[in-house]
Amino acid sequence: MPRGVWAILPVVFLAGPVLGAYESALRQPVYVGVQTCAACHDGAGMGYQCSIWQQSKHARAFAVLAQPQAKLIAELSGIPQEPQDSPMCLGCHATGAHAEDWEKDATFHVEDGVQCEHCHGPGSEYMAEPVMRDRARAIAAGLNMPTERDCRVCHLVKGSHVAVHDRPALDISQGLKSIAHPTPERGMGLQPMNHRQDADATLSPIPQASAYIGVFACATCHRGPDRGYQFSKWRMSAHGRAFAVLAAQKAYEIAKEQGIQGPPAESETCLKCHATAWHDPAGGQGASYSIYEGVGCEACHGAGSKYAEEARMADPNAARAAGLKEVTKETCLGCHENAHGKSFDYEQALVQIAHPTKIAQEAKKPRYKTPLNLAIMPNGKELYVACEASHTVVVVDLGSRQKVAEIPVGGHPTDVAFAPDGRRAYVSNRLDDTVSIVDVLSRKRIGTIPVGDEPHGVLTDRAGKVLYVLNTSSDSISVVDVATQRELKRLAASRSPWSLSLSPDGAQVYVTNNLSRFVPFRSPSMSEVTILDTQRHVVEDRRIIPGANLLQGVAWHPSGDFALITLNRTKNLIPMTRLVQGWTITNGLGVVWRDGRVDQVLLDEPGMAFPDPADVAITRDGRWALITSSGTNRVAVVDVRKMIGMLETASTHDREHVFPNHLGKPTEFVVRHIPVEDSPRGLIITSDGKTAFVANALDDSLTAIDLDRWEAVARIDLGGPKEITKVRLGERVFHSADNTFQRQFSCHSCHPDGHIDGLTYDIEPDGIGVSPVDNRTLRGILDTAPFKWEGTNPSLQRQCGARLAVFFTRIQPFTPEQLSALDTYICTIPRPPNRYRPLGAELTEAQRRGKAVFERTMTNDGRVIPKENRCATCHCPPLYTDRQRHDIGTKLKYDRESEFDAPHLNNIYDSAPYLHNGIAATLEEIWTVYNPNDRHGITNDMTKDQLNDLIEYLKTL
Amino acid sequence: MKVRMDHVMCLLMCLLTTASGSTATSARLPYVYTDWRHFTVQDGLPNDHVFAVKADGSKVWVGTEDGLARIDKASGKVEKAWQEKDGLPWRVVSGLDVDPKTGDLWVGLFGGGLARFSGGRFDHWHQLNSGLVNDVVYGVAVEHDHVWAATTAGASRYNTVTGEWTIYTEKNAPMEEIWNYGVCYHDGKVHLGVWGSGVLEYDIATQTWKDYLDPDGEMEIDLYRDDGIVHVITTGVSYIEQVLWVSSYFGMSRYDGRHWRGYYTHETGLPSDFGNAVKGRSANEAWYATDRGVGAVMDFATDTWVTYTMDPNSHEGIAVVSREKKVLETVRSPRGIPHNYALWVEFDGPEVWVGTSKGLAWSKGQGYYAGLRERPVHTSTAESVRRHAAK
Repeated sequence: MPRGVWAILPVVFLAGPVLGAYESALRQPVYVGVQTCAACHDGAGMGYQCSIWQQSKHARAFAVLAQPQAKLIAELSGIPQEPQDSPMCLGCHATGAHAEDWEKDATFHVEDGVQCEHCHGPGSEYMAEPVMRDRARAIAAGLNMPTERDCRVCHLVKGSHVAVHDRPALDISQGLKSIAHPTPERGMGLQPMNHRQDADATLSPIPQASAYIGVFACATCHRGPDRGYQFSKWRMSAHGRAFAVLAAQKAYEIAKEQGIQGPPAESETCLKCHATAWHDPAGGQGASYSIYEGVGCEACHGAGSKYAEEARMADPNAARAAGLKEVTKETCLGCHENAHGKSFDYEQALVQIAHPTKIAQEAKKPRYKTPLNLAIMPNGKELYVACEASHTVVVVDLGSRQKVAEIPVGGHPTDVAFAPDGRRAYVSNRLDDTVSIVDVLSRKRIGTIPVGDEPHGVLTDRAGKVLYVLNTSSDSISVVDVATQRELKRLAASRSPWSLSLSPDGAQVYVTNNLSRFVPFRSPSMSEVTILDTQRHVVEDRRIIPGANLLQGVAWHPSGDFALITLNRTKNLIPMTRLVQGWTITNGLGVVWRDGRVDQVLLDEPGMAFPDPADVAITRDGRWALITSSGTNRVAVVDVRKMIGMLETASTHDREHVFPNHLGKPTEFVVRHIPVEDSPRGLIITSDGKTAFVANALDDSLTAIDLDRWEAVARIDLGGPKEITKVRLGERVFHSADNTFQRQFSCHSCHPDGHIDGLTYDIEPDGIGVSPVDNRTLRGILDTAPFKWEGTNPSLQRQCGARLAVFFTRIQPFTPEQLSALDTYICTIPRPPNRYRPLGAELTEAQRRGKAVFERTMTNDGRVIPKENRCATCHCPPLYTDRQRHDIGTKLKYDRESEFDAPHLNNIYDSAPYLHNGIAATLEEIWTVYNPNDRHGITNDMTKDQLNDLIEYLKTL
Repeated sequence: MKVRMDHVMCLLMCLLTTASGSTATSARLPYVYTDWRHFTVQDGLPNDHVFAVKADGSKVWVGTEDGLARIDKASGKVEKAWQEKDGLPWRVVSGLDVDPKTGDLWVGLFGGGLARFSGGRFDHWHQLNSGLVNDVVYGVAVEHDHVWAATTAGASRYNTVTGEWTIYTEKNAPMEEIWNYGVCYHDGKVHLGVWGSGVLEYDIATQTWKDYLDPDGEMEIDLYRDDGIVHVITTGVSYIEQVLWVSSYFGMSRYDGRHWRGYYTHETGLPSDFGNAVKGRSANEAWYATDRGVGAVMDFATDTWVTYTMDPNSHEGIAVVSREKKVLETVRSPRGIPHNYALWVEFDGPEVWVGTSKGLAWSKGQGYYAGLRERPVHTSTAESVRRHAAK
């Protein structure tokens, strides 16, 4: 061989795989759909792999989401969407749930459920036969060979499913056997099946005849609750597996009995009843048709290309004229009468496959009101009550003290405020991120203003020209021009702005912030009252409230000298073992003086705390302040004059260091407690100073308090259901401090709105002074067991059961009924919609790049990242946790463990700080500061813009 | 010889004007600042090296090498200063801008990232806790809901509403070098002054970039005059009335969208070609802070300059009015700029602030007028200015 050829040969030899790898590395794999796989992976030669899959539950995984149980599971998991539309459900019940549209070929159908590519990866780059025959090359092109670990991502026990199905845990190794679909050893038998559809390709369809379009074309419309889940019903039926069963041994036996030679799947005799369009239809078969669908829609209803058009379908006569067949008993008997010696009960079978367009409406569940906050119309005649659970505002006539109307508004209305002229009311909707504008005269919603994330407090300025809206989840304040209904600007609040109050002279607005500012690790809280200048609509000042958190209610004293705020003083820096002198959470009031001073006093008394102070209101004469305690169903009455007098005669030292923690002082100024109903929140006093109204959130009522007699004189029913469901009972248990020593706190105290308080705690069970842990959200946690950062609690029952009593609440545990109800309620706490990627939205460019970083398998310099160190391995969709413990190198000196439960990443953007001990204030710090050795994913080779893109993607999960 | 009365009158006039220190000649001349006030550490500034100045209504923010200060114009005093011990996240304040909507002050920190000062609270973003590309921030500019930071490793754009950070480097911008020295926003365009990459212009509406490089491609010479930016080692940018003013280490430039104009010491009133910063007041006027004083183009059309320097011996201020290097007027004042190493210029209506390496200068610009005006030519002494001011 000439020398030159020898010189070239190595280059040629190497160039192929290098170029091939380079080429495959360049192209992003996309999903091609199971029928593309089936083109090769079926038939006797390939072990009927597609048919085996089609008979498995995986093939029906999407369809099963149409069943009522799925809806129930979704509710239990806090998923508000239709299961077949929820990425959370589809993550395990379909393929490519988290892929964008461009990542799916036209041949891909989400309705195929858990198909080949769910386990083996999107197939566009490895499906070519030359690639597929070379395992290494196929893997380099994206082929994944799953292991038991991969199965566990979906098949680990989920509490929501157990609650509904009550089935035993899946034995994954057994499960793998049941879905095994090996390629036969002999001959790598890639023999395309000789379906009738492939035969006689020379026959051209007759243009005027109807073509078979396939079941997925029908499913474009005939799916979902509006169409009675028709596709899913079919898919769950035996008709959907009719072709696949021809691969079974039984089919061969039956065929043999009938004298059929060759595979049943290729026999016209079998296909006549086991497939649609088994023949050469006059109109041909559309690209969307596939023989694998078995007995599809068109087997009974006729070839659909002409009648499938929506306009035609809507007119039964037109549809029939276009070929829609009437289905009669004869249609069924043609195949089923005496089929294989089996009897056939037509009436019963009809019931089984019935798929009406309209389905019976499920019985409506009781819908509570859950009133949170109130506002009195400027003319004093009516009261508006924002009702979170019913998504309405209830109108109460103050004269008769009766409910007179109910106005639908947005999702989870939280606060309400009137325009100064009383013609409009503004309602913040924390689920929708909007403010509803209500026309008071017509009692109708007349407009919607988009604002920031999870709006809580809402208020206009004195002139009614500007609306301030507190965006609790985005730490900002929207300033909205009332006339144009447009947001003028967004001001920076502190963490989780909650409520606001206008000063008597209208010059300032005081805003409370629910969470403390970020402070150095294991440092005392520093919460903030943000002060707005109402003339310039800017932040004028920020007052620090040291050692406090959960600043919520706020009210100005009529003198204008100070405002009162409600607060907690959570002692998270010491272990939760010290029961005396305030124990874990004390509750009180802050006095925020206009001149810059801040005082704090407690409302707790020794032996009886005043947990979860939610709101405060001050009488017109400034003499009395009323505060609600949602944890003990009481309203405290404070003699403001005495309280201020006590402060002003005290030394500076006492005011700063003693009074904020002095449990004895409240007896000097708390003059009485007035019992009200379940979970009182918002509070308001009429302009004549005679009556206070309290919103009892979990009683669906208001309490009227006579301020002369200082007693509750009326309960105003807001019209909620009388039945107390298990979830409602659980919600009451969650918000009640009854099961805590000295009634000091409730679950809500650390998890306001079912979320976080942003603090790190030292819990006793892992050792005093050891392993401080970050408080975690309860939103959408049901199926993310185990619980606790160390993953030691396998279920919520365990988490909230006896151990809670021993280490947290320190008195008798919940009763079994209470525990069950509490756990059920916690499961249903919904996760708000993701703000960075609304349902159905495309990823932005940065998010898309970030997704590639998240899913990367190689470093920037081409080294393979071990599977166990890839982001997507431990944080796999749909929950973005594999629910296992991992050592990611974040153990600190005082941690007893080095392995921690992988947290879920859903809505991760609003649960800072991060890592088990909350030491990372931002997502960036997880990797820039706390991953020096690449134990938490390989990240140190990333450029800054790659990290930024990764963060943008994480925010969409 | 018969003495004519008019000759006597003329002589008398000459004597009088000489005694008062001015000539009777008038010409079309620019406004000259003569009444300067200084701020140094003696007056409460945390440090004398003044890198940035930003006027904000009745207040003026001052960024120094060791802290931030706020001057109250009404009282004329430094009313407060912040150093690290007071919560300023990093001592060196290299850039300042104010968000006109929220009133928040954005602070570029040289080695410390970016800070926001809002309602008395400092919030801090740096390259470890955020998407900021680098902590060495030279300049900062507010663009609606976004904040730009010019850093030594690219430019960062921060969306204050969504929290998204975007980095611009050579990967996604025509940035031949990534050392960003300056940034400004005005009228829908963001301009970056980049060491080694000239000026980059980002159009907010179309989200497209345009670069301005030296067409000569020669760093050492200006081969063809006014064919583009004079040099790519750009230190400052200022865009106003659709005119871009540029400072570099090797001369200055002006671009009106069609025509370039280069400025050098040897032919203009620039005290030095080494420009630290530029501030455009209009399409017609811009001030250049150089290492040897301040050169102000007071009238572009006639190429009329005023050069402000400090007499190193007397510490008096010297303002020289020139046109095409011809001196038209020299005005001495008791004070001028406190040091010739000028670092920043800021305008506030008729007022001007100049940051130098030895403090801050402020002149109220009483009687300021734009462009040129017919007025007497002064060759006044500092003493005469003092006496005039005292009247």
